[in-house]
Amino acid sequence: MNTVPRMPHHDRFPELGTGPVSVEPYISQDYYEKEIEKIYKRDWLCVGRVEEIPKTGDYKVKRLDFANTSALIMRGKDGQIRSFHNVCRHRGNKVVTETGGEETFGNSRAAVVTCRFHGWVYDAKGQLINVPQEDRFSSCFDKSNIGLVPIHTDVWEGFIWINLAETPRQTLREFLGGLVEHYAGYPFHTMTDVHTYYAHINCNWKTGMDAFCEGYHVPTIHAGSLPGLTNMWSDNLLIFGDHRSLSAFSSEANPPTPVGNAANDIFSASIVAKAQDRFALPPGINPTRSNHFGFEETIVFPNLLIQCGGGLWFTHQFWPTSQNSCLWEGKYYLQAPASNSEFWAQRYAVTLQRNAWYEDTATMEDTQRALSSGVLKEMHFMDEEILLRHAYRVIDDRVNSN
Amino acid sequence: MTATLPKEFSVLEPFAGKWALPTEYERGVERRRSTPAELKAFYDAILPLVPQILKRADKYPIGKIEGVDRDLFYMAMSLVEIAPHIEFYNGSPGVPFAFQEDRMIGVHYKQPD
Repeated sequence: MNTVPRMPHHDRFPELGTGPVSVEPYISQDYYEKEIEKIYKRDWLCVGRVEEIPKTGDYKVKRLDFANTSALIMRGKDGQIRSFHNVCRHRGNKVVTETGGEETFGNSRAAVVTCRFHGWVYDAKGQLINVPQEDRFSSCFDKSNIGLVPIHTDVWEGFIWINLAETPRQTLREFLGGLVEHYAGYPFHTMTDVHTYYAHINCNWKTGMDAFCEGYHVPTIHAGSLPGLTNMWSDNLLIFGDHRSLSAFSSEANPPTPVGNAANDIFSASIVAKAQDRFALPPGINPTRSNHFGFEETIVFPNLLIQCGGGLWFTHQFWPTSQNSCLWEGKYYLQAPASNSEFWAQRYAVTLQRNAWYEDTATMEDTQRALSSGVLKEMHFMDEEILLRHAYRVIDDRVNSN
Repeated sequence: MTATLPKEFSVLEPFAGKWALPTEYERGVERRRSTPAELKAFYDAILPLVPQILKRADKYPIGKIEGVDRDLFYMAMSLVEIAPHIEFYNGSPGVPFAFQEDRMIGVHYKQPD
């Protein structure tokens, strides 16, 4: 190298190393199985938002293919949200039939669910409350002992989390650590109109995550949809245990266009529109109150990205399904529109972001095929890819732990 | 398409059958099967009329627009769908260098707006 390296992020966290990393974690079946056992079946995972099930008896079923199960997440008469394996205690049928693809929603006014196989009825606390022809079971059959199998569940800032471990090693608050304070006051709950996109992508879940966790790709990959973002940088890198966060900045917005201007004049709903001061940000996010602030990018270990701007936020999640495949979910959240014209303007921002996501996801299968070919043994991370390096390190530490 | 458009929107009459579409899914399919010239002709015709279309739409509660105003609003929604293709992608009907668009699913895709 002819120039002196400029690596301010790495200089602050020398323990993460600076060298190339092995591609093995992205292609190995053995490594994948360890990730499932040591991370996905033990750590807290985000499975939704409280606004998705606002009323008593509302429920959501979230497929968790990596564990061959689904979580039935339900709001009880006491307002509490609880989760259970969506498995009938009778002979294992799914209690709620999953008709909605990756996520199924429903409501039971009485806050009960009934298995379609033989009609067993459970309440929102998981208790088995009715069994047709109960007198035809033997005397040792006691329905008070065979409720739905519970899953540990907690809520943070409106996000619903589950933990599949029998006894989680940490509470959700302990797991999130410094993120709790970092995000205190961010008005997630005022921006709850969500646009959800998903795709099954033939790549390792980390190949997908990595593509969204650095700004280095933006001027090239997004030259089409986000042509204003030719000069991006990041600052305020924070490591919160296994989680990580930084602020992303851009010197320019998208160039003015007739439809873009018309939409942004009605409702600023895009990371590439200027004037994102619709809501105040907590002090830890864009701490210098820079005019160039684009969004805060936070990765909650293992598989949730939260990107927050002023007046909008979005998430990405990659759910592993094999070492070479995953489910991607992108969710874009905005304040509810006050009029049809605001709805129209918001859709312009969402459409542009959707198109940027087409651009992001375009690289993933090509990358995975190349890594799987064995042509490369190593990959290289530059300074703006510090979040990838931290992810690589914490995942590898966990996989190699007992 | 429910009825003849008011005369100040008559320039949109030839486009209504193709672009007055209620869902994001249908608008995306229509965009991808259009030619660059078709996208540009529709863009040029509707752009100056957007303020009037939105003004009429705002007389209704959200999602409850009726009659010809609904057709006009759906055409304005189609403009949202195609605008980046005219303004950023040199008229290309598909998003350039993209994931296969029909493999990405919007949960709201088939709900009428």
